[in-house]
Amino acid sequence: MIRRTALSFLIPVVSSIGVMLAQQPTPTGGNQTPPPQQPSSIGVSISGDSGSAPRMAVPDFIALSSDAETQAIARTIGQVLWDDLNYEREFYMIPRDTYNSIAAPASIADPPFDRWRELGADGLIMGSVAKAGNTVRVEMRLYRVPTRQQAFAREYSGAAANARVYAHTISDEVHQSQRNLRGVARTKLTFVSDRDRQRVVKTVENREVKEVYIADYDGAGHRRVTAGAQLNNSPTWSPDGRAIAYTSWRTGFMDVFVSRIYEGTMSNPAKGTPSAQNYLPMYSPDGTKLAFTSNRDGNPEIYVMNADGSGIRRLTNHPSIDVTPTWSPTGTQLAFTSERSGTPSIYIVGADGLGLRRITFENSDRATWSPAPRNELAYTARTGPGYDIKVLNLASSETRQLTFGEGTNESPAWAPNGRHLAFTSTRSGRTQIFTVDYDGRNIRQLTRDGNNQQPHWSQ
Amino acid sequence: MPKVMAMPDGPSRGRRGRRVSTTLAEINVVPMVDVMLVLLIIFMVAAPLLQRGVEVNLPVARQTQKMSEERVYITVPLSYQKDSRVFLDEEAVSLDFLAERIRQAMISKDQKEVFLRPDGGVRMQEVLDVMDRLKEGGIERVGIVALQRAPR
Repeated sequence: MIRRTALSFLIPVVSSIGVMLAQQPTPTGGNQTPPPQQPSSIGVSISGDSGSAPRMAVPDFIALSSDAETQAIARTIGQVLWDDLNYEREFYMIPRDTYNSIAAPASIADPPFDRWRELGADGLIMGSVAKAGNTVRVEMRLYRVPTRQQAFAREYSGAAANARVYAHTISDEVHQSQRNLRGVARTKLTFVSDRDRQRVVKTVENREVKEVYIADYDGAGHRRVTAGAQLNNSPTWSPDGRAIAYTSWRTGFMDVFVSRIYEGTMSNPAKGTPSAQNYLPMYSPDGTKLAFTSNRDGNPEIYVMNADGSGIRRLTNHPSIDVTPTWSPTGTQLAFTSERSGTPSIYIVGADGLGLRRITFENSDRATWSPAPRNELAYTARTGPGYDIKVLNLASSETRQLTFGEGTNESPAWAPNGRHLAFTSTRSGRTQIFTVDYDGRNIRQLTRDGNNQQPHWSQ
Repeated sequence: MPKVMAMPDGPSRGRRGRRVSTTLAEINVVPMVDVMLVLLIIFMVAAPLLQRGVEVNLPVARQTQKMSEERVYITVPLSYQKDSRVFLDEEAVSLDFLAERIRQAMISKDQKEVFLRPDGGVRMQEVLDVMDRLKEGGIERVGIVALQRAPR
């Protein structure tokens, strides 16, 4: 049981010394001594028993003043940070309801280590919140409990309005520094929702408005992007996270629109007309191009244009339907859905229009390509009355299934670190957005209000 | 949230061929069974049997793994009555934390089982308090360790 020796944390220190020695230049004669070299940082990282995840405790942050607002911020940061860290499954997160008998210390500098040790914690995150006017100062420290060392510390100051941002930032930095992992706590999702329950005006059908929304990766803090009182569909982020491209009927027919959400501007780069409709846009990984579907030459085909709408090129040419393009992480290939074989299946074509090949041999649609280095395609496959999410590994050609017929499950979208997917499911009644991990575990529901569809994860 | 996919934790190891020697000491377990049979499987083991073994010189190999079925002992000493601390193996753990510590210790174990070593002077109520926490921590089987009475 008591096998958590100091050895496990010594390893990073020792290895960095090893690197230092290896890089020392050999003296090239004379008596010049090489300049003293020191590792720029000595890492202390949180480690658990061999073979098991480090156990982490995140109590409420300490409010340095007793007003209700500061205390609410302190509580929120602690809870959200626990959830964020739990999401990546890198740590065993000790449930917060077991902390009750450990009194909060007056300062984050001296937590009662022996009590946390007794609870089994390997790592402990302490933090404090001080509020002055509309700004807060948040301090956090990550301790390695068995040795009582400080492993990581940060201090932030900023607006008091959104406490969750501090927790998300801390989570990403802890994952980066302790696990060398890119967390997704600060990423956002865009999706369409009919939660406003407005009706589309000026149409014969009595349809509900679908507007484009954005929300944090955990579903909190949703905001509406479009206000067209029309049908909007298939939003996708630009790689820099500043623009959303989507399909809209706001002009009475389908066209690709780009909303720059921070500037508040909107454009329709493909310049659609009733006879040349454009839809299902997807930014290239470098953000310079948009792939989309258009019927401008008679039937739906895949096109690529520059982000400003210039240089439109056609990639596919077949009398059957070709839709829903998605880029490979390098931007050299696109996957899309085609009906040329009779049933919808996924095909891959080079960005130059060459090298077309079929890669799924079942009724499948809406592929999205994983970020590197995971070379996988997630797609929607018909598995009976409904659809399920499947993932095809392009290197090994193996397919695995992530959902198993609970409701119908559609439109998967990868998280930027490749460890999670967002998708829509009807398992809870209406169509809602869920996330699932790459191995099919850890399913969470993000939305509850109205119907929410077509998620896409920001980079 | 219903579990979507059964994820077996690797090839399941054969059950340990441990022979539980239930010394049929005439203890009246009926009151305890009433309360706790639905919660826990309780059995009694004789301490000397657990510790005795035939001495062999085992062969040596580099790629050995630790036995996954390490036994977890919970000792309830007489001092429990003062400080509400039990020993999880050799580490003192307050009763408040026992359930969570047991959860942590059982993550990698197939058999959710601990061996309880209460001091003879500890009251039944106190043993049951501890068992309550063990149950909360996911324990399914509790072995109560006792010394085997020397034959008269």
